[in-house]
This record gives sequence, structure tokens and C-alpha cells, in this order.
Amino acid sequence: MFFCTVLLGSNYLYAQTDYSNRQQLGQRVAALQKSHPNYVKTKSIAKTLGGSDVWMITIGTGTVEQKPALAIVGGVEGKHLLGVELAIGFAENLLADAGNTEVKKLLESQTFYVFPNMSPDATEQYFAGLQYERSGNARKVDYDRDGKIGEDGFDDLDKDGKITFLRVTDPTGDYILNPNESRTLIKADRSKGQLGQYAIYSEGIDNDKDGTLNEDGDQGIHFNRNSTYNYKNFLPGAGDYAVSEPENRALFDFLYDAFNVYAVLTFGPYNNLSQPIQVAARPTSAQPAAAAGGRGGFGGGRVTNWSAADAQANAYAADRYKELTGTKDAPRTNAESGDFSEWAYYHYGRLSFSTPGWWVPKVTAEGGERPGSGARGGAPAGGAGAVEDPVADYLKWAASEGITNTFTDWKVIQHPDFPGKQVEVGGIHPYVLNNPPYRLVSDIVAKHTEFVKSLAGMAPFIELIDVQTEKIDNGLSRVTVKVFNAGQLPTLAQVGQRSQFSKLIAVRVNTSGNQKVVSGRAVQTIGSIQGRSSVEMSWLIQGTGKVTIEAGSPNTGSDKVEVSL
Amino acid sequence: MYNKKFLLILLLLAGTTFSALAQRAENILAAAGTPPYPKVPVSWNRYHDETALKEIYDKMVKAHPDLVSLQSIGKSYEGRDIWVLTITDKKKGLDPSRKPAMYIDGGIHANEIQTSEFALYTAWYLTEMHANGNEFIKELLIDKTFYIAPSINPDSRDNFFHRPNTQHSSRTGRVPLDNDRDGLIDEDEFDDLDGDGNITSMRRKSPYGQFIEDPTDPRRMIRVPDGQKGVYELLGSEGLDNDGDGLVNEDGEGGYDPNRDWGWNWQPNHIQRGAYKYPFSLPENRAVAEFIMSHPNIAAGQNFHNNGGMILRGPGAAEDEPLISRQDISVFDAIGRKGEELIPGYRYIITYKDLYSVYGGELDWLYFARGVFAVCNELWMSNMLYNNASATNVDRQAEQYSADKFLLMEDGFVPWKPYNHPTYGEIEIGGFKKAYGRNHPGFLLEMDAHRNAVFTIFHGYQTPKLSVDNIEVKDVGNGIKEVTAVIKNERVIPTHSTFDVANKIELPNIVTLEGGNVLSGMIVQNKDFGLTVEQKHDPANIRVSTINGNSHVTVRWLVKGGSNYKVSVDSKKGGVASKTSGS
Repeated sequence: MFFCTVLLGSNYLYAQTDYSNRQQLGQRVAALQKSHPNYVKTKSIAKTLGGSDVWMITIGTGTVEQKPALAIVGGVEGKHLLGVELAIGFAENLLADAGNTEVKKLLESQTFYVFPNMSPDATEQYFAGLQYERSGNARKVDYDRDGKIGEDGFDDLDKDGKITFLRVTDPTGDYILNPNESRTLIKADRSKGQLGQYAIYSEGIDNDKDGTLNEDGDQGIHFNRNSTYNYKNFLPGAGDYAVSEPENRALFDFLYDAFNVYAVLTFGPYNNLSQPIQVAARPTSAQPAAAAGGRGGFGGGRVTNWSAADAQANAYAADRYKELTGTKDAPRTNAESGDFSEWAYYHYGRLSFSTPGWWVPKVTAEGGERPGSGARGGAPAGGAGAVEDPVADYLKWAASEGITNTFTDWKVIQHPDFPGKQVEVGGIHPYVLNNPPYRLVSDIVAKHTEFVKSLAGMAPFIELIDVQTEKIDNGLSRVTVKVFNAGQLPTLAQVGQRSQFSKLIAVRVNTSGNQKVVSGRAVQTIGSIQGRSSVEMSWLIQGTGKVTIEAGSPNTGSDKVEVSL
Repeated sequence: MYNKKFLLILLLLAGTTFSALAQRAENILAAAGTPPYPKVPVSWNRYHDETALKEIYDKMVKAHPDLVSLQSIGKSYEGRDIWVLTITDKKKGLDPSRKPAMYIDGGIHANEIQTSEFALYTAWYLTEMHANGNEFIKELLIDKTFYIAPSINPDSRDNFFHRPNTQHSSRTGRVPLDNDRDGLIDEDEFDDLDGDGNITSMRRKSPYGQFIEDPTDPRRMIRVPDGQKGVYELLGSEGLDNDGDGLVNEDGEGGYDPNRDWGWNWQPNHIQRGAYKYPFSLPENRAVAEFIMSHPNIAAGQNFHNNGGMILRGPGAAEDEPLISRQDISVFDAIGRKGEELIPGYRYIITYKDLYSVYGGELDWLYFARGVFAVCNELWMSNMLYNNASATNVDRQAEQYSADKFLLMEDGFVPWKPYNHPTYGEIEIGGFKKAYGRNHPGFLLEMDAHRNAVFTIFHGYQTPKLSVDNIEVKDVGNGIKEVTAVIKNERVIPTHSTFDVANKIELPNIVTLEGGNVLSGMIVQNKDFGLTVEQKHDPANIRVSTINGNSHVTVRWLVKGGSNYKVSVDSKKGGVASKTSGS
């Protein structure tokens, strides 16, 4: 590990052999700007409390803020290192290919805002002397509300530099050994008469002697629990209120003013690209106020489901995703409270796509439905039916790939907090369930880059088509035009149609001299236009000469036609 | 020029001589309850812009250095200071930051201008009554701290005073917002066509009009009965179609609601109209929230608004009602019902149920997120004009004209005057001035300010008052002593709301024993039956989750050694108190 870091530091671009720490990410960001000055502008939008930069990479040409934009956000979950790689890797791959005609066209017509890592304080824990899965930033939080901060964190009892697990023999414990994989544990199914044998804890001791292990360490505030949609106060890591952290605020401040963003792609734990939103089936209980109403997901003012039209766009994007990335067997995911990608749809009002990019592949075809993704760093998940054990699945796959050294065999230790009980330390290593070995990353990134390009190819674009001028009489003409969305995504998602923070399509007839609009509005706005659809407008105009008609909004681009009266 | 100046000086001299004369004690009989010789004279029958408010703050600090501190807690969008007055006896009692505190603010909706005067009157009344030797206030300011922020949306207050407005406009802050979402920002604001500083109404004579002059007061427009011919049509608020989109005044400055911007059950603007980007996305609110969070001694709060004569408790959203326990409701009830008594006509009601739904309001943030027992008074109600509580809305409108005519000498109305409008042609402009309708007429201002101020003083008085009431030492043999102490809260408000306890918002009260080697510590649930719950960890510092209003808790230790035991309680919202046994 130490050796790798040294190697990377000197030769990061070509000898990348592991995920990037914050210095390395900063170097990769700077290198992009240096090698593609015509296309790239980079900026640190915030300093976290831990002193990390939060990078924003703007990719495009000319007046980037007036071109339809795709926002790509990585590192929303600090233990998901791959999310950072997918975001920065997309930028690197796209620009490396800037000579390609197709890519060049994208770069000239659109803008990409790439935020490679929204949890830079948390991801540093992977590179730290003591490695554990961390989601929170460097904010000092009194997690157990005892007036002391950070007094009971993890403890590396076996001195391997990683926080794994304790299993303690305990007749009241919830866990038993997995009958198929003796190294892992599954939840005892009491309905089947299974008797619990073990209790499981994270590695550590009860430093403050309050009866709870590791309940108040350096956990900070989680970026992905701090968004306003379905925000839960008082949840560990949620913060005192939504959007309380500098990095969350900086991103929201930028995005709310970025009216040109038509969609957000998140590389994070939630996945609506392998399993697109089902309009009818998705539970809405997270937002209790809404009396469920009809009208395509609107209920009592709150929006708690995707509209049918938006879900269609999601389904189409998901098809492209599966095709271009070759991913399959994705575990079903549920968004956490305060999840960023849900915010992007339900509060920000943009189409929002999200994928973790990788999950433990199935080794054999048999076995039915995949286990849930509840595996939190190896705390074995249990459940009804077939034995669900993501750690066992991982070990099987790791063995087939020749991956070693990601599991510490259980070893008996002396533990001060469990007198008279057998305590063993061991288990799955942090990070390995959510992040592939680095040698697989470049292929995953390359495939996802293809998907992002394809998604960008669906962007809404306004064109004025079928322009007709009829002369009614001397000096009186009727002008008819179709405002056409040439893209496959709607110009505004459901919420965007109602939100103050998205622009409508403004249509203006510019008259001059003796010209006068006698019917129809010279200035007006229209709401959303679905993909490959149009809205027809016409005006009666008195006068002679040429008038121009323009239509557009920041997230659709604009078009202008000149007609002779 | 010289003459004018001279005259002015003479007038000023005359003024000072007169006020000096008027304050000679032999000429005055103090009216009960009002300080007769205030160190800071203020006329409580008019309204003050930010400059005038600041002058009063400064005078208060100068006149009452041992009672008043002034601090800027942050800057508004346009760079104005947001001021907080801290009122307490700095020389007596606990450190001001440890005294149980009442927080009061006004002016979040800056068109509701009397809210600032009411908050400031409270500060003025506390300090001047103290200076006048009032025993109750002297005692109160030893025990309590009052944090008073009279104007927390200062940009819009000055805008209301100095720019044309209706009585409803300037509720927003000044951060630009594209209300009509056409890509242009704030491009179609009201236009003060007659240049009088008020945005009133436009009317036009029309053969198709539905309105006529009210025969009892021709200034008032009334609708004609069905089938009859009217004279006027109404054209809305004074303004132009500045951006040529066929709409008048549809994209003015700002256009959001600062009281939908707080960190409890926040919802975006497509659900909660007026919300900005996320909780505390407005700089003024962020400053206030940070001030409140850094003052955990705040146990009670008041947000002044207008109007309607209400004392509101939360929640703003129906789904939050089950989160307030019966016990906490009874605390609100004790305060709210006293308010109904002190301010006759004001009704103690519940926001979501009796007014309307509010997501992300300040009141809910104070209670749910900070555990502060806060209420919101909606100042002014029109039945203060004629004490006509049963009036219908139509009656109320007629009353407003009548009161303007007979009580205010038509000073609240801009008479209809002709104007040539670029779109509408020959029209007339007129209507009520911005200061009338939602804000108190001068002669009623001081009276209602006083009633509301004493209500907030009552509210502040009811913040927890803790004492170590009794320490009992019993020898239980083997050199072990049992020390039992009673900690009392003599006021209505508990140290922690039940919602606070459930969610561990604030640290628990810590009851500490010093003076012996503590072997064990416990909370006594029933003294007579000896039922106790032991705290195994750190027994010298017993953690007591709350001490309810007008109630007590009993704690006990088993101690080796010592004879005089000091028991102290440390409570974020209840302050600190201690007592030593045998002394």
C-alpha cells in the first residue's frame, strides 16, 4: 500500500494502480486543464472542513453557461471510491477523444459539469493509516450526545491497519455461521427455529465505558444524507439541518444557478439505470404529507414519484446503460434519506440518473434473485428464502478472480468489554464490497464513458421548424412556426415545470419599424416539450419587412428564424 | 438662507427646553406601569427605518450600560447589519450566556413593520422599568437574558420605508429572483406612477365596468348587484408592463418568503410557495440561525408577525402534530392562554390547523430542531378599530374606510387622481397607503406594543428556574452515606421538551456531587418506596433528561468520606444552581 502510493505520486497518469487520494485527484484535475485548455476550466468550489478541495471541471466551449449541460457527480458516498473514478475518468476519456468528430460535436453543442468527489474528507480514510469505510466529512460531531466529541471511535485491535469486525459468542446474538461458507455469518431466522450464536460489532472497544462500542468516532456529516429531499433530522451523519455542510452548499448554490443543466448523473449507491423507476410501484411512504393523488405522480402538492413521461426517459436511458456497459444482475437499491440523486429529481427538478457502476458479479447463473445491497462493509445481511450473504458471494467471486488478502480470518483476542465470552476479530475488509480491484476500473470507466456520451446525445434541443408565412392582405401576415424539441429527453422534467429554479422556454417575436403584432403574444413562455414533440404557435403581424422569431431556454439552447412579411 | 437656519436652531432650542421642563418631577404624575422619565425617550406612535432603529439601540447601550449589549450577528444580502440587543443585568446573576433566555425577533416579513417596534418596545420597557426601580423587572433581569433582534430582514425594511410599496409588498428579501421564469430577472416591478411612495390601485371608467363608488364613502369601490351597470373597472396595482409580455408587475424584486427557509420540514418552492433554495439559503436567516444555535440557553422564543390578532403555536404542517406530546402542548397552552388574557381579542391557535400550512417556518425550527418553546404573535387586528369582533369581511372593509375617515382624518388614503397610462389610457390612481391596513395607526401602537411586550416578558419569565432545593444526608453504615437531593424547576417551561428528550437535541442536565468519594449514583423514582434507577457510568454526574415545569427530580448518591456535600445542577436551558449540605 505504501509502496503503491509512492509510485502513484511520481507517475500518476500512466501508472495509476490504485484509487486517487486528494492530492492525486487534484493533480488529475490540473492535468486536464493543462492538456485541454480550450475545453476545460477547473475550479475548487469549496474547501471542506477537513481542508480538501471540492473540484468542479467545466468541459465545453464558448459561452458554456448558455448551452444545455449534463452535471456528473461522483463521490456522493465516501466509501464508494469508484464513483470518483467514474466521474474524473469520464472527463479524462472524453477529452482524450476530443479529436473524434462525434465528441467534438458534443463539446461544441453542450457543457459538462463534472464534480468528481463530493466527499473528499471521507474518501481520504481509504488512504489513511487506519482504513475504515467512512461516509462523513471532518465536522466534529457529538454522535452520542454526551457532551464529548469523538471519544469512542474504532480501535484496530489486530493492528492490521483496517477496521473489520468482532464476532462474540452470545446466545442472544442475531447471527449464525453461514452453513455454506464458514467464514461468514448470516442472520438467524427465528421463524425457522435457528438459534443465534454470535453478536457482531465493528472492531473496537468501548473507550468511554458507556455500554456502546464505537458510537462516537470521527464520522462527520454524510454528503449523501444531507440533501433536502426526504431529509431526516437527528439521523447519525445527517447534520443539524439539510445542506448544512460547505460542500453541499457549494454544489447546490452552483446547480441552482445553473439553469442550463437538463440532467444530473450521479455515480453513487442508488441505481435507477439497472432498475429504472416504476411509476406505479415505487413506495411513496417516505413523504407522508401527500394525500396520494392521480395526475401522473402529483399528490397533494408533493411529488413523490416520477411522472410517466420522465419514467419513459429513464427506461430508455436504462436500456442504453445496460447495452453500453454490459452490466447485469444489479442488486436492487433504495435511496437513503437525504440522497443527492433523489434531490436532483424531486427538488432540483432535473432528470436524474444514478448508478454505482459496479457490484459484486455473480459467479454462477443459478441462485435466483440476487441478495439486497444492504451489505454495509461486510456486516452480513440476512433475510428470508435462500441464504443471502453478500460477503459469501464476494468471497466466491474473489476466489474465481484470484483476489486474495481481502478477508481476515477470525482470530480469538482478549477483549475488555466482553468478560467470559469468546471474542474474535476478522471478517471482510473495508471497501472491497463496493469497489472493484483497481485493475478492473479502467474498463468500467471506458464503458461508462460511452454511456454518458449516449445520454448526452439524448439532450433536449429547441429548433424552430415548419415556418410558414401567409399573406392575409396587404401588410397583414400570419406567421406560423413549430417549437420543436429535437432531443429525446423532455425540455423540463415534472418538477422543473413547476419550480422557480428552472426556466421556461421564452418565445419572442422581434418587430421593428412599422411592424406590430395584432394577434398572439410578442413575448411569451411555454412549459415543457417532450422529446421529439413540438408546440405550434402563430401570430398575425401588421407591417412589412423582416421579423425574427427566437425561442429557447438555457437548458435547451435556442433557435432563431427570420421571416419576410 | 441665514434666516431659515436661525429659525431651525430656535425651534430646536425650544424643543429641548420644552422636554427638559416636561421632565421636572413636580410637574408629572407617573401613569401606572409606564416609566415617567425614560433615559431613552422614544415616541411609540410612529415607525423607524434601519437608521432610526440603530440610533435607538445606540442610545439604549449608552443609557443602560449594565443592562444592554448590542452586537451585529451578520450581514444582510445588501450588506446591512442584523442587530441583536442583549438585555440582562450584567452585574448580577449568572453569566448572561448561562441565564435561561428568551429570544424575540421581528421584521422577517419586512412589510409587517410594527413587529420591529414591538420587539424594541420590549427592550425599552425592560430597561426603563429597571432604571425606574421596578422590583419585578430587576429580579427578572438577574435571572434571565432577553435576546432581541428587532429587524432580521433589514434590506426589505428600508425598502418598505423608502421605496414605493403596497401594504403587502416587501415581504420578501432582496435577493433577485426570476419570478416569471422568462430568463430576465426582476424586470417588471411595481411602478409608482404618481410618485407618492405608495403603490395603490388603478381604476378606469368603462361602460363594461362592474364597480361603482360606495354612496357612504365614494373613495371605496363596491361591486354592482348582478344585472346592474357599473361605472369603473379595476386594473390592479399601480404599474406598467415593463417587459412587454402582456403582464403587469409580474416579476418584481425578490419574490420569495424568508419564513419558508428554515431547517425543519423544509420543502421546495413547487411544494411550499416562497421557499428559496434550501434551509438557510438566505444570508439573514443563516445569521439568525447561527446566533440561536450558539446560544443554547435560549429556552423560549417569539417571532412577531402581522396580522390578525393571533398567538400561534406550531406545527406548520399537519404531519408534525403527532410529534408534539400532550405534555409539551400543555406548556404551550399555559403560555398561549395567558396571552389571550393579556392581549384581549388575540386568539391562541395552531398554525397548520387554524391559519394555513407552513413548511420550513422559523417557529417550527425553534421548537422541533432546537427544543425552544416559541410562539408567533400575529400583531394587529382590525377589530381594534371599533371593537367589533363579529364583523364580516365586508364589514371590515367598510370599517377600514370609516376608521380612516373619522379616526385618522383620511390620513391613511391616497385620494383618486387622474393619470394617463401608456397602456390603459385615462385612469385614476388611489387607495390606502402602505402604512395603513396591516400596521397599527399611531394612536393604537403603544397600547398593543405594551400588551404584547408584557406577554413576551411573561413568556421569558416562565423559562426554567432551577434550584437545589433540599439535600438529605443519611448514614447507612460501613462508613457509607446516602446523599439525596431534590432539584426543582419553579417555572412552566421544562429544561427539555419531550421532543428534545426523544431526539437528544440538547445535552441532558447534569447533577453533580462533590465532597466525597461517590460509589454509586441514581435517580430516585419514588422516594417513599425507595425505587431508584442506577447510573453505572460516571455516577458523580447524574444525567437527568429533563426537569419538567413546576416539578422536581430527586437524585441520590452513595458516598464514602466527606461531610459537606455540594450538589450542583448544570442545564443548558435551565442555567446552573448549587447548594451545599449542612451549610
